Amino acid sequence: MKKHMKTSRWMTGLVAVGCAAGMGAAPRAAAEVSQADFDSLKDLVLKLSDQVQSLRQTNQLEQQLHEQDVQQIQQLQAKLAETSRTATDAQQKAVAASQTAPMPRVPIDEATVNHNFQILGDAEVQYAKTSGQNGSFVMADFAPIFLYRGGDNVLFESGFDFILQNNPQNSNPATPGATTTVNLSFAQLDYVINDYLTLCAGNLLLPLGTYSERSAGWLNKFPDSPLARGFVPGNGVGAELRGAAPLGESGALLNYAVYGVNGPSSSDNTGQAGSLDLGGNVGLRSDNVVANLHGNPTGGGRVAVFVPFKPHYDLELGLSAQSGEWDNAGQHLWTAGVADATLHLGPNLEAKGEYIVSRYGSDDLGNVTQQGWWAQVGYKLAGLNLEFPGINNLELVGRYDSVRDGMGGSTQRTSFGGVYYISNALLFEGAYEFLHSTDPTQADQIILQLSYGF
Amino acid sequence: MQTTMVAALGALLLGVIALTPGCADQAAATGTSATASTRHQLTGAELYSIHCNRCHPERYPTERTAAQWKTITLHMQVRANIPGNQARMILKYLQDNSGR
Ligand code: HEC
Repeated sequence: MKKHMKTSRWMTGLVAVGCAAGMGAAPRAAAEVSQADFDSLKDLVLKLSDQVQSLRQTNQLEQQLHEQDVQQIQQLQAKLAETSRTATDAQQKAVAASQTAPMPRVPIDEATVNHNFQILGDAEVQYAKTSGQNGSFVMADFAPIFLYRGGDNVLFESGFDFILQNNPQNSNPATPGATTTVNLSFAQLDYVINDYLTLCAGNLLLPLGTYSERSAGWLNKFPDSPLARGFVPGNGVGAELRGAAPLGESGALLNYAVYGVNGPSSSDNTGQAGSLDLGGNVGLRSDNVVANLHGNPTGGGRVAVFVPFKPHYDLELGLSAQSGEWDNAGQHLWTAGVADATLHLGPNLEAKGEYIVSRYGSDDLGNVTQQGWWAQVGYKLAGLNLEFPGINNLELVGRYDSVRDGMGGSTQRTSFGGVYYISNALLFEGAYEFLHSTDPTQADQIILQLSYGF
Repeated sequence: MQTTMVAALGALLLGVIALTPGCADQAAATGTSATASTRHQLTGAELYSIHCNRCHPERYPTERTAAQWKTITLHMQVRANIPGNQARMILKYLQDNSGR
């Protein structure tokens, strides 16, 4: 480029000098030059002027090219600056990332220690409105669970329920307000004998069906329990052997449990049908007398098969039973049987239910047979792949309950509800329950509950 | 009477299981299961996804430390009737991915 510019300037100069010389010489020479000479000179001048013209044009073109080049250079410079900026940015980011990247895993001493104590549990706050009554908030439950592990084979686990309740309005005016009750839901020592058998002793959650062993506010999709669960005890004081053995290599299991517990008793020492007390008989009276309230312990057990077809697709079928004397005189047997089923079809669909029957002898009504069943279906809307905000956290649930208490009472209940998963352990549940009952105090109700598993 | 017999039979059955640890493993090892050759041994991650969200929403490995998982897995092993060797595989998976 520079070389071109120099040449064109030099040539323009040359032409100018030539012209000046030509003009200066012209008048003196006019007389002496021939027409032919003049013409050839004129031609030459014309040619020269043409050349000058074309040179000027090339120069102009070159000027333009030069400007374009300058622009290009500026653009390139700008680009270069930008590139180097992104490069330094990237470098800084890389440095920052390498500072926050997880350190390589080192074994944690804590994980290898032999003893460990932990508190888990759940808490629930309820709002309930029964038709014909005032709606109200109910601080239903604070249920911590204490776990103490010693070595690989010993675990002590216990769960409490702290419940706050209003005192009855017609109670002693000296004790108005509310009462806090503490329930020991379970407190058992587990000793793992081998891979297939564990010995448990204490206040056990009973494997009569699966409901009692699998309930906590953040597990249940309805804020309240199935009605038929009222026919069997949820826990009992005694000892249990339980475990599972693999059936083949697909993950299928045979589950088993046998136990002996004090069993149900009579609330007033009689054998009247209405005196059956499923929750009593814990071995110690409140006046500190050690007492099994009837002569013989109660035995029970459960067998079940669990078949996973693939992750999130499985079926569990179980049969369980418990039987023993219940009245103080040891005259009458109380026997219960439960069939339970749980089905998962993918991560979004769950169906489960139980059939419960119990029969016991009594002084006044002879044999009383109580029976009921419940079935519950839940579907997580995430399965629909919809785009609406929040819809993927919602599960719709339905449950049907039916009970006959063997003394003329029966209730059917249909419940519809939803669970909104704020997180995997914080749930907002709502249910509307339609009730048909021979008991006039039972009515439709709406229950809202916030449950947290911690 | 009947109840006592049922309970006694159950106890006997469990006694047999208690005295023969590893019986199921042996059956699998000798290839007596017809499908054993076509199926692979389930991994800790697979066992975790088979068991750990069937009773409650899944609790993620990062929610607890390795030490806490050791105790919780024992709690769940007893509660959910998971054979010990499977529980150990699940525990390993949880600890390898645990929070700290
Ligand atoms: C048979 C049903 C069942 C299975 C299967 C099960 N759990 Fe649980 N899990 C429960 C119940 C019931 C609770 C709450 C009550 C309790 O802890 O006693 C619970 C509680 C927990 C908790 C404590 C959190 C809290 O808020 O209380 C954790 C963590 C947990 N489970 C993890 C697991 C893992 C990991 C697995 C897979 C090995 C698993 N669970 C399998 C029934 C089950």
